[in-house]
Amino acid sequence: MLFQPVYCIHPTASTTLSMNRITLLFLVMLPIAMPGAERVDFNRDVRPILSDACFQCHGPDKAKRKGDLRLDSAEGKKALVPGKPAESELFKRITSTEKDEMMPPASSGRKLTARQRDVLKAWIEQGGEWQAHWAYIVPKRPELPKVGRPDLAKHPIDSFVIDRLLKENLRPSPAAPKHTLIRRLSLDLTGLPPTPEEVEAFLKDTSVDAYEKLVARLLRSQRFGERLAYDWLDVARYADSNGYQQDRTRTSWPWRDWVVRAFNDNKPFDQFTIEQIAGDLLPAATTDQKLATSFHRNHMLNGEGGRVAEESRIDYVVDRVDTTAAVWMGLTLGCARCHDHKFDPFSQKEYYRLFGYFNSIAESGSVDKGGNANPVMRVPTKEQEQTLFNSTRTIAELGPVVTATAPKATPADLQRAALLGLSRRPSVLIAEAILRPSPAFEDASIALAKARKTLDDTNKAIVEVMVMEDQPKPRDTFLLIRGTWDQRGEKLTPGVPELLGKLPKDEPANRLALAKWLMSPENPLTARVIINRYWQMLFGMGLVKTTEDFGVQGEQPIHGELLDWLAVEFRESGWDLKKLLTTIVTSNTYKQASKVTVEAIERDPDNRLLARAARFRVSSHSLRDQALFVSGLLVDKPGGPPVKPYQPPNIWEEMSFNQIRFQQDHGESLYRRSLYTFWRRTVGPPNLFDTATRQVCVVKPSRTNTPLHALTTLNDITYAEAHRVLAERMMKEGGDTPARRIAFAFRLAMSREPSTAESKVLTSAFERIHKQYEKDRPAAEKVVLQGEKVRDAKLDAIELAAYTGVASVIMNLDEALTRE
Amino acid sequence: MNPLHQARLLHSRRQFLGSASYGLGTAALAGLFGNEAIAQSPKPVGGIPGLPHFAAKAKRVVYLMQGGAPSHIDLFDHKPELYKRRGEELPASVQMGQRLTTMTAGQKNRPLLPGITGWKEYGKSGIKLCDFLPHTGSIADEAVFIKSMYTEAINHAPAATFLLTGAEIPGRPTLGAWLSYGLGSLNENLPTFVVMTSRDKEASCGQLFYDYYWGSGFLESKHQGVKLRSEGDPVLYLSNPAGVSREMRRGLLDDLAKLNQMKLDEAGDPEIATRISQYEMAYRMQMSVPEATDLSKEPKSVLDLYGPDVTRPGSFARNCLLARRFLEKGVRYVQLFHAGWDQHQNLPTQLKVQCQDTDQPSAALVKDLKRLGLLEDTLVIWGGEFSRTVFVQGDAKAKTYGRDHHPRCFSIWMAGGGVKAGSSYGETDDFGYNVAKDGVHVHDLQATILHQLGIDHTKLTFKFQGRHYRLTDVHGRVVKGLLA
Repeated sequence: MLFQPVYCIHPTASTTLSMNRITLLFLVMLPIAMPGAERVDFNRDVRPILSDACFQCHGPDKAKRKGDLRLDSAEGKKALVPGKPAESELFKRITSTEKDEMMPPASSGRKLTARQRDVLKAWIEQGGEWQAHWAYIVPKRPELPKVGRPDLAKHPIDSFVIDRLLKENLRPSPAAPKHTLIRRLSLDLTGLPPTPEEVEAFLKDTSVDAYEKLVARLLRSQRFGERLAYDWLDVARYADSNGYQQDRTRTSWPWRDWVVRAFNDNKPFDQFTIEQIAGDLLPAATTDQKLATSFHRNHMLNGEGGRVAEESRIDYVVDRVDTTAAVWMGLTLGCARCHDHKFDPFSQKEYYRLFGYFNSIAESGSVDKGGNANPVMRVPTKEQEQTLFNSTRTIAELGPVVTATAPKATPADLQRAALLGLSRRPSVLIAEAILRPSPAFEDASIALAKARKTLDDTNKAIVEVMVMEDQPKPRDTFLLIRGTWDQRGEKLTPGVPELLGKLPKDEPANRLALAKWLMSPENPLTARVIINRYWQMLFGMGLVKTTEDFGVQGEQPIHGELLDWLAVEFRESGWDLKKLLTTIVTSNTYKQASKVTVEAIERDPDNRLLARAARFRVSSHSLRDQALFVSGLLVDKPGGPPVKPYQPPNIWEEMSFNQIRFQQDHGESLYRRSLYTFWRRTVGPPNLFDTATRQVCVVKPSRTNTPLHALTTLNDITYAEAHRVLAERMMKEGGDTPARRIAFAFRLAMSREPSTAESKVLTSAFERIHKQYEKDRPAAEKVVLQGEKVRDAKLDAIELAAYTGVASVIMNLDEALTRE
Repeated sequence: MNPLHQARLLHSRRQFLGSASYGLGTAALAGLFGNEAIAQSPKPVGGIPGLPHFAAKAKRVVYLMQGGAPSHIDLFDHKPELYKRRGEELPASVQMGQRLTTMTAGQKNRPLLPGITGWKEYGKSGIKLCDFLPHTGSIADEAVFIKSMYTEAINHAPAATFLLTGAEIPGRPTLGAWLSYGLGSLNENLPTFVVMTSRDKEASCGQLFYDYYWGSGFLESKHQGVKLRSEGDPVLYLSNPAGVSREMRRGLLDDLAKLNQMKLDEAGDPEIATRISQYEMAYRMQMSVPEATDLSKEPKSVLDLYGPDVTRPGSFARNCLLARRFLEKGVRYVQLFHAGWDQHQNLPTQLKVQCQDTDQPSAALVKDLKRLGLLEDTLVIWGGEFSRTVFVQGDAKAKTYGRDHHPRCFSIWMAGGGVKAGSSYGETDDFGYNVAKDGVHVHDLQATILHQLGIDHTKLTFKFQGRHYRLTDVHGRVVKGLLA
């Protein structure tokens, strides 16, 4: 195999403007990064240059290292004379124009810019010291900066942000209006907008802690767990089918519900982690803790003919290693599957030592348990558990009753029975067959048979979920040469990368030790990586923009101290996620307005300095939820098997050549949150766009703006129906004039009143469409029949159709689609 | 105009259209955007600075992917030696312990099976093609036949993924996505990257086409292929909801644009300008896509060129004609997938049927492009993900037998777009088992395709997870011998 597989894939947020943005950002950063003006910082200024241009041949990969020179560590000093660039081999090479001398060589396709050469020159002049990569050093709680304007920085987060803004001669934005704040918070923390009543109550609440009370209410909502679970499902590559050619249905949804519960219960993040990686190995593990381990059974399963099962099994173990590295460590370890990492100091050997932890699952590599693969665990629902308990008890109680009330057979009866050919049956059955049973016996036997059937049926209906469970004798782990499943090299024991601390000595080398190591205070990465993703959720971009890569090729954070402060805070709080989120959203940095000014966009187009709040389009799953919620269609019921709402015909059929047929659900199932939509791995829900494919782990959402999205939110039946039902609400609940009804929909969708100008555009739109439908009643009749929700026949079709048109405009407004 | 946008507008014509559209007045809009002159605008929109790296020979590509793996030994690569050795065991010295699939790894004998049909010579080069490919023969002077392709993967999905993305594991951008990212769009009314699928009428071949075959991987999702459907809306959600006329939609979009413009003036976010323009493009697509897929104005002579199957929605023939229409309207990259070649057990019957499905339409597309003067800057590629074994799978004396997967060599052809027309390239050994001369690795093919589009394959990169990724990974070379 020639390639290092890429397991953690996500589309990037960069745009066609990215070149421009880079230039502008560079201008922002210039005062700090300018060599000479200030001290060159190895990690911030030098390593990115060396890593990108030199590490390929002068980095951690021993096999590919040239000239016995490595520049990723202080061993590189031999290429420099500190203080004297002109005498340093490194500087001579990067300034040479000789074909055989110049570095990087032409064949590499890399070139240093004049500025990059200046940075390296200044660095050598200043002594040419190496520093360890920032992310591999355990974060310590930084002191809060003394801000020039203490009035602006009462919150710790604000201290870091304001301090930097002032140094850049920038000012923060004013606070966002209250209606914006409540909508922002509700969307961020629950994935749904607030109701107009909630907005009203918040606007009226003038108490000092009104905002904090709002935050607490939202964190208590069942919808909070659903909101956070969605992103976790992307990370966990969760789907309801296996992927690949057969793409059989699996039953992992009880694990999805476990995730929702865990977030709602505010399970401390260390436990949340340990249970998912090694819940089965905890002492006296509960069913729930074992269920949690389904996290690492969420990968795809290949049931293709012609597959070697062991080859598949190796793929699954690799997926677990790469996913663990991406989710908790922010590392692209997948590169080390086939060779030593080119940029980060991780060897191929270390990769397979990590592999060792996941190598002993009692699995065969085939799809050997229906659509699931062993090992599986039966996960009864609460009701099923109750039923099992009840029917078992009934059976236990009724057994003796039946025996006691059974008519006794006399020797003559037995003789008769023998003649009937029944002599081999137990006496009770003989009695049933030939004697006249008493009513008590009859009742008891019927009840007993019923209880037995209930027990049987319930047992059959209990869902099986794939979980992790080690086989009694661990498998041997080998380094796999070039990552090929059957090319075994050196035999290895499980272990963690040397650079990142050690495992507790007296613990067995199993997944539990690994999970504890991930969450130990000595681990430099986990806390930073996790809080960075929650920052990304709330600010649209992580403090480390490269959420997927904290390695040397990743971004050095602009607000590194803030990142460390939050990481330590999170860890020391006992990994209290709700507390962390509360801390972030109660900062003025979060509460700023998102309005973009000319100055701001010129200075800092990507808002890396946080002089304003983020403004971004809501994810497509939230857009669908919002449409259902605003129209009143949403069925806010938690958990259970996945549902199959509307989907255009032939999507699954075309994909699978008619092997897999889509059968749409009806009623409530059409209106559940997108979290519960059945996810077929080969072809995801077609009306969700910019979404993770759920094939491999994705830690960063994509956010693009295309005509196909517009077509979806204008024309998909899900939306067309929501627009029609919203129009019904406008007519029934919105008052008696078009302007009032429009204002009502505005409040529902955008948590505010329309301006006079906005109202005017929409009322005249209403009048225009109304006239159009007056001329074409049959068209109006069609509009009001959109979707399966029965139409309110009392409402006039023409008027309702006209309001439906208006509702479609309101729901497609940029502001309605956007979290401001 | 808000001064905020001006800097950005210079960089993005798309945004220009978006913002300008509102100022132009709504009456003018429909006419302006329905204008074909814009559709065929030669100036690309989007793309990255500095591309193309050098003058391009081709502006567009159509890839006629033959899923399931057509057999080189039966179709393109005439091997006299095999006819002498029919039924003999494949010598171990030729196989050299190479991996077989689990389907034939356990088979006791591996008797050699020569091509199952006769052969004819075609064109100036006198290339020999099997009897089932007369139409392909008729364009022999337009094409270069590569007989020395080879790949890494032995199963379909990894091999197809490798061919289209440069890696066997799903998740990297596909060729079409790279082109959309690098070169941008040639039209304002249609997607840059269009995908169509078809399968053999008998449904003999189980090859599925996964959406990552046209995915954008770590590039922005706007670069992914838009798959056209053969039933219902050609593009998902293209039609207005029942009861909403085009005229009414126009009015509503004007209202929407007015309100969004107010928001843009207030909030200043350039993303709003982009959103306005994307809604406009959605509206234009509602017209341009049905227009492009409407074959009613194609003259009978053209329909006849593609053969009788052209009237059947979802057929390969129809997709070939649709491909031409999209290319003509400025779509950068059209990817066709046809499933039908996975002949493990049904070679005697299915080889002929598959040739009937694909031979005439493929050749017709080349001829049709030539007729319209588009062939010279359109690169047409025909081929599968690998080939089939020279030894028989099953029992050659029975009615049902076939050939197993073979990645060590396979044949494809390319036409137009600056290739060396009327030639063949590379050779396999006497057994048709290994490449004997001028091997073309999948990465070499990818490098060569990019080269024809004016792209240095080592320079079209995207940094992701700390690494500069490219279509050809760290390999690939431009095969000059394939080029005119």
